[in-house]
Amino acid sequence: MYNSVPLQQHALMSQYPSYYVKPVFKKDVQEEMIKSGEAQKLAHVPTRAALNDQTSSVYHDDIINVLINYVMKDGRKVLARELVEKTLEKIKRLQLERYHKATNIEDKNKIELNPRVIVHKAILNGKPLLQLSPIKRGGVKYQVPVPITDKRSQFLSMKWIIEAGNEKDRNTRFYDQLAVELIDAFNNTGRVVKRKQELHKQCEANRAYAHYRWS
Amino acid sequence: MLKTSSLKLLSKRIFYVQPLSTQVQPQERLQTFRTTEDNPLNHTSEHIGQFYKLSPDAKKQLFLHGGLPKSFEVQIKTFTESCLMIRQPSIDIINCMKVINYTNPVVRFVLYSKKGNGKTLSMAHVIHYAFEAGFLVVHVPWVGNWMRRCKEKSNSEFKPGNIDLNVDAAAWLMHFKHQNSHLINNSDFKTSQDYVWSKRETTLKDTPLVELIEHGINRIKFASQCIVALAEEIKKLSQEGKCKTLVAIDGFNGFFYPNTRILTEKKEVVHPGNVTLTEAFLNLSKCDWSNAVVVVTVDELAIAEKDQICCLPRYLLGKKGFEHMDPFVPVPVLAYSDKEFKSCMDYFRERRWVLPVSGQDEELQFLSGGNPYRLMQLCNSL
Amino acid sequence: MSAITRLRGKTLNTIKNSTALISNRSFSEETEFRVLNLRTVKSQAPVRRKINKPDVLPPRSNQMPVDQDWGSVWPGQRTFHPATVPLPVRQGYTEKNAPPPSKFGNAELMKIPNFLHLTPPVIKKQCEALKQFCTPWPKGLETDEKCNKHFEIEVASSNYCYSSPSIRDPLARIVTLQIKLSSLPLDDHARDKFRRIVGDRYNEENDIVTIVADRCPLRQQNYDYAMYLLTAVFHESLRFEEWEKTKSEIDMEFYDWNVSKSKSSIESIFGKPAEEIVKADVYSKAVGALMNEGENEYTLAKYGESVREMLQLPAL
Repeated sequence: MYNSVPLQQHALMSQYPSYYVKPVFKKDVQEEMIKSGEAQKLAHVPTRAALNDQTSSVYHDDIINVLINYVMKDGRKVLARELVEKTLEKIKRLQLERYHKATNIEDKNKIELNPRVIVHKAILNGKPLLQLSPIKRGGVKYQVPVPITDKRSQFLSMKWIIEAGNEKDRNTRFYDQLAVELIDAFNNTGRVVKRKQELHKQCEANRAYAHYRWS
Repeated sequence: MLKTSSLKLLSKRIFYVQPLSTQVQPQERLQTFRTTEDNPLNHTSEHIGQFYKLSPDAKKQLFLHGGLPKSFEVQIKTFTESCLMIRQPSIDIINCMKVINYTNPVVRFVLYSKKGNGKTLSMAHVIHYAFEAGFLVVHVPWVGNWMRRCKEKSNSEFKPGNIDLNVDAAAWLMHFKHQNSHLINNSDFKTSQDYVWSKRETTLKDTPLVELIEHGINRIKFASQCIVALAEEIKKLSQEGKCKTLVAIDGFNGFFYPNTRILTEKKEVVHPGNVTLTEAFLNLSKCDWSNAVVVVTVDELAIAEKDQICCLPRYLLGKKGFEHMDPFVPVPVLAYSDKEFKSCMDYFRERRWVLPVSGQDEELQFLSGGNPYRLMQLCNSL
Repeated sequence: MSAITRLRGKTLNTIKNSTALISNRSFSEETEFRVLNLRTVKSQAPVRRKINKPDVLPPRSNQMPVDQDWGSVWPGQRTFHPATVPLPVRQGYTEKNAPPPSKFGNAELMKIPNFLHLTPPVIKKQCEALKQFCTPWPKGLETDEKCNKHFEIEVASSNYCYSSPSIRDPLARIVTLQIKLSSLPLDDHARDKFRRIVGDRYNEENDIVTIVADRCPLRQQNYDYAMYLLTAVFHESLRFEEWEKTKSEIDMEFYDWNVSKSKSSIESIFGKPAEEIVKADVYSKAVGALMNEGENEYTLAKYGESVREMLQLPAL
């Protein structure tokens, strides 16, 4: 259903030897491989076990799994998953409320109801293009704009969203706030997008230092 | 330099814009899962599995002070309509109610099932039917609210050793008055005997029943005893044929579970038999009167967690409760059948609660095991 | 200070001793001159004692004809003997998948009791010999059922020689009496009371009461006592005492619908005795099953059906 961003799996502490291949856990991918004959090649290759969040569910979503992992504290994954699921529920409820409020069909059709799409788009909207890195030149630290890897930028986007979700008064719930922030980011407004734009502005202001990257 | 690098990155990022399905074209209303027959008087077994709309007015009158599960109320708000599925157990009870000879002693129905199979909503359907059919509805939304988390307690003045839950009792009187506001002003509804509350306060014979209820609400001190009197009056009125009555009690086994969370001043656990409210509602669920129907649910959630072993009525009611209710008609509320499940998913899709994805029905049916509550929870995050 | 002096004294002593040794050796050298033997001459090996093994005959079993009379080879009880038993038996434990040791020199086979003297032809022969001393089997008791029918009481005791200074087996005095409860002429009340009195001596599965008498020193006394017990329990259970009227529902060993509250409540609903209520018998059975067999989906469904029938409600 969704194209997923390829995730890097670091093998530094892996319990598997390097020649172990990653499992194919999606049913449709498996069927395709069987059709194209690729599955035959894998028949005798040692394979890793699937991770516990890799399922063949139609609702499996890599990005949301990553978000869950970023929300998680102290390894309490069940709680983290619950929080993200409640966030999705809240997004859906908010959008449906708007949907039912809208009077004509055109307005209704404009409203996005799929919470997963909203999360994806929000994360995409929050991704910065550059970041500032402190580089010491002549005893002075300069904030130098440097390009950023895609993974790092996705991480920053999710981090900012989660931080925005945590900035709330004590009576609101994390998942409610997170839902609001995600919808805001989806609409290219809100704190996360503002933070991204501020970073870009800073980079723009410090463009003169850009050559410090090399010299 | 900077611009070129950022441009490069931008072009790179474009590949990650994901072609997600965003908008769904509004479909034609599928009529298979929804019935236009919104009057429960006309519901038959042909309608099983279909949703009908509970009108906002009826909902407000019947369930303003509780009676629908909280999570269902949230769904109603999101869906902007309150729809109930017509299911086998409620249709079964309604069919029985249509053919019962009301001159015979009351027939008692006991709804039972595993957690989350829809006992309360089946009962809500029955209550709606009774409301439309002109029954006097005596509805207890959840006995657990009294036995497990009561708001306030005091010693009874009328029966030493008993415990009154007056705030809860007054709230229930409000609920009862609100539910039966269209019937209660009937001039036939009069008290049959004098009630002496204190030296100065009495309710004389032949005062309207409303005044008795009002008295309980205004003088919270007497609310519990007022319910006992009210129960007796309702029985007499039904017996005399002035009204038909439906007694609907959710979590009925709470009246028989010995370990309540009500404590006396000495921190001793109060047996439910020593609570004044129990007396009133056990009196109403006896079979020594006629012109009425009793529908109760037995629920594991009404007792302590350590004793939630089995969901069958004999276990939940205990020996005393079973003897009290015997002979009763056990009505199982089963998990969704294939047809009901399909209908429920269609309804969710029509309400835009779940967006259509191929293969979702099979997966959800497998994960939920046909349990309605579990299905609702699974669908929440989709 | 004193420690140092003591140490010094010790060294002095050792020096004295060594000088004494040297003087001794010089004394012995004078008596014998030792020759340096470069080419070692082999001394003759000591002659080993030859063990004279007696000539052992080959095992007797090798010469046994196939059609020999086994009863005369092995007439009585005897420890296993490998040369006499013409069977390739093996017995014992080995490691590493080897076969068990053979019968020769096998203590395992000698330890276990054998019944080689009780082969079927031998038994047959002995029975033939004993026949002249026996009376014919009574007519009418050909089968076990007939035996049980005519002799309900079964008395068992054991007879063994005891291997100790006294040959009296102390267990021989124990008498076990067994009887089927159904063979006693008891009514419902008496049967219930009988079961309560005998307690766990009654086996529900096969309906047998077992009375074991072992308190008296002689078998005859024990037998008399067991018979007395049976008689006493039987007559006691037939008697109806005054206090038995106070038996309540909690004391019941099973749910009896006829005295239950269920019966009285349906009587009050219909306003007539339970016998006259239509379908009350089905209902009573369903309640009984629900209470006695325990609650499950099946018994509960049966209960629901019977209630619907009785109250004339449409079936599910």
